[in-house]
Amino acid sequence: MKNLKILLIGQPNVGKSSLLNALVGPKVVVSNYPGTTVEVTQAEKVFDNTRIKLVDTPGIYSISDRSEEEKVTEKALFEEQVDGVVIIADASSLERSLYLVLQILEAEIPAIIALNFVEEAEKKGIKIDSEKLGKLLNIPVVPINPLTKRGISDLVDSLFRIKEEIEVFRVEYDDHVEKAISEISSQIKENSIPKRFIAIRVLEEDRDFYRYLKNKRIIEEVKEGLTEHPRVAEDVSITRYGTASFIAEKVTQIVRIKAEKTSQIQEKVDNIFLHKIWGPFITFLFLLTVFGILLYLGNLMQDFLMGLTESFSSSFGMEEHSIIVMVLVQGLTGVVAGVSIALPYVFLFYLFLGLLEDVGLLSRFVVNAERFLKKLGLPGKAFIPLALGLGCTVPAVRATRILASEKEQFRTASLFAFVPCSSRIAIIMGVVGFYGGVTLSFSVLATSLVAGLIWILVIQKVIHVKSEHLLLELPPYRKPLIKNVLAKSWIRMKDFVYIVIPLLALGGVTYGVLDILGLTEVLVKPFSPISAWLGLPDVTIIPLIFGFLQKDLTGAMLLSVLGSEVSSALTTVQIYTFGVAATIGIPCIIAFGMLSKEFGFKRAILLVVTSIGYGILFAGLAWRAILFFM
Amino acid sequence: MLKESDVLKIVKEDILRILGEEKRKISLKSMKAKIKVSPPFMSKAIKILEEEGLISVEKEFIRLTKNGSAEAEAIVKKHLVLENYFKETRSEREAHRAAHLLEHQISEEVINNIKKLFILKKEGVPLTEFGFNKKGLITDIMTSDYKLFERMISMGISPGEIIEVTNKIPNGVIVKINNKKIVLNKIIAKEIKVLEYEKS
Repeated sequence: MKNLKILLIGQPNVGKSSLLNALVGPKVVVSNYPGTTVEVTQAEKVFDNTRIKLVDTPGIYSISDRSEEEKVTEKALFEEQVDGVVIIADASSLERSLYLVLQILEAEIPAIIALNFVEEAEKKGIKIDSEKLGKLLNIPVVPINPLTKRGISDLVDSLFRIKEEIEVFRVEYDDHVEKAISEISSQIKENSIPKRFIAIRVLEEDRDFYRYLKNKRIIEEVKEGLTEHPRVAEDVSITRYGTASFIAEKVTQIVRIKAEKTSQIQEKVDNIFLHKIWGPFITFLFLLTVFGILLYLGNLMQDFLMGLTESFSSSFGMEEHSIIVMVLVQGLTGVVAGVSIALPYVFLFYLFLGLLEDVGLLSRFVVNAERFLKKLGLPGKAFIPLALGLGCTVPAVRATRILASEKEQFRTASLFAFVPCSSRIAIIMGVVGFYGGVTLSFSVLATSLVAGLIWILVIQKVIHVKSEHLLLELPPYRKPLIKNVLAKSWIRMKDFVYIVIPLLALGGVTYGVLDILGLTEVLVKPFSPISAWLGLPDVTIIPLIFGFLQKDLTGAMLLSVLGSEVSSALTTVQIYTFGVAATIGIPCIIAFGMLSKEFGFKRAILLVVTSIGYGILFAGLAWRAILFFM
Repeated sequence: MLKESDVLKIVKEDILRILGEEKRKISLKSMKAKIKVSPPFMSKAIKILEEEGLISVEKEFIRLTKNGSAEAEAIVKKHLVLENYFKETRSEREAHRAAHLLEHQISEEVINNIKKLFILKKEGVPLTEFGFNKKGLITDIMTSDYKLFERMISMGISPGEIIEVTNKIPNGVIVKINNKKIVLNKIIAKEIKVLEYEKS
């Protein structure tokens, strides 16, 4: 059996993931928000005795190193062995797609163009002669429609022939650029990447490619020879774009240029959603409504699942008080808490988010949020991970990858200490709200918000990040495909189910073991200064500590250490303090794991310790302030 | 207001000048690279020149006809004379530009317009000051951050492209370019220079 590894690349929102779906089945996320795929998705399928491994990559406009998304693709292109790429091009803005195509051809990677949105373009009066395009570039061009499966089998056929060596089209630059390219080419170490391509990347100031140079001085030398053309990098990209639009123009036939009715409607909708007052208002209202529905539906689902899981766990029979059973019961309690509290909430949350994304609203919300996030020194794109953080911190940490620099990612990730995830909202609403009233739960939220704002102000001074400008494509409003939204919610939840729930069980078991061995008391002792600072009974440290192992057990454990009469065991202020201490800080060990995967162990531990310490400090100060003023 | 006919005149003369300077046939591709102008102008100018019998197009190459050679020679000469004249007072780059401008022998009003033309970059109105729902020709992108520059180019925001502002929002502008909607913040929008453009 032959093996082929093929990369799917293209601009954000051009239909890479839907093509992958059409090729191998509904396993990948498709979205209407530019830059959702932050990780590479792979899928395999055997066609006619050839195993084709397809790799979906984050959307890129060009091979450049501007943001993490693009780095992922660049890595996949040059650091792994690939047999070829399928470039998905958008028929309605062909020149832009061709820019990327020309770069890939420069890198001499065997390529096929899959021309998507052909029907949409024709509706706009744009007809592309794909055969002519193929002849001009000397690579296969296949018009496709992933929804109707048009062209999919043709595409597979051309994949089989992708390795055939052919002379492809090459961008010719101005004489001074060509001269510089050949000068740099002569100073490049032998390696598998074509020299011309490396030379062009070097001219375009891509530092990742400097390591292929025998001597870095060549860059200066070449630039000195180009005093008449000081903006040589710009000459390169403009010529490439010019060539792209020149080719596009040759194969495009404009039938009629008439503003479509639908595009007028799109304009009008944007006039509302991006209005300077209504825009942010609607964004806020939408989020609020989503939360309202979430709390309501979440509670319904929670009651239902609680009933199911309780009857399941009680079937184990409590009469057998053997140690193993007790430990098992604790483990099960952890899972029950996870399944019944977090699962419905997290799933519903992702469902709503997926809907917003596919309708095209999420990118508008990003634009609206940018105005406010900018004031906090955050880029508009940070809205996405922050909103995700309201579901579960773990996938939210990973979503910070859409931000341009690692510093920016880390800074945004540090805010998850203050963005309450579903489990923390459950504590605030379920524990604080239940025993102390709704007002009290809102004061906990407000305290966390204030603490977060102070944190942002401080961290801005500590971690300097060059501000990222808002430059974002707004996808058209579309009708969402429910199947797609469901698939996407599931993929985002997979982390939660496969990582979080087992750890919940583990946490429960650990607690059970410690409890049986009578170690919990011993464990509490060293923490008594903290509980004193918080003005809480010593035992309340147990739910706080175990809260870090599994946030969803915090409430249940508070009950088990204090007895069911929480309101008589704790004063209102103490309930508040407990709520604040349980809310602020990186929430759990699973989030810590994800942080250390993304930013390294050292920075993760630094963030966890600092944020939890800060939370405890803040909680202690807050209750003293309250008592002082009351 | 910039007229299509003015742009075409310049592009036509530039094509002749380059052919005259090179004294050989040139591929359409490299001509395109030399004259950084959006493709519709380029193809139109070539079509007109072919109709006027000044050039002939063969496969992917263009060459001067007899009539064209004479015309081109005149333009080249004029360009050299002007360039030398200006060299005394300005830097070489400036001289080249000024010569470029004058060789087209167009009316003063048009020259004033063309001063703002993309050939003479750095002119034009910042996109932030450009009105709604009218077409503008991007003349230059001023940013010194190449990464940002390349990102914009690859998103289709390139000199020579036609851009339209559809919305202004407090933190930036929303533009339509190439059938795509893109939101740019004010800092980026300020770097994009545009001229009002009319298809004539």
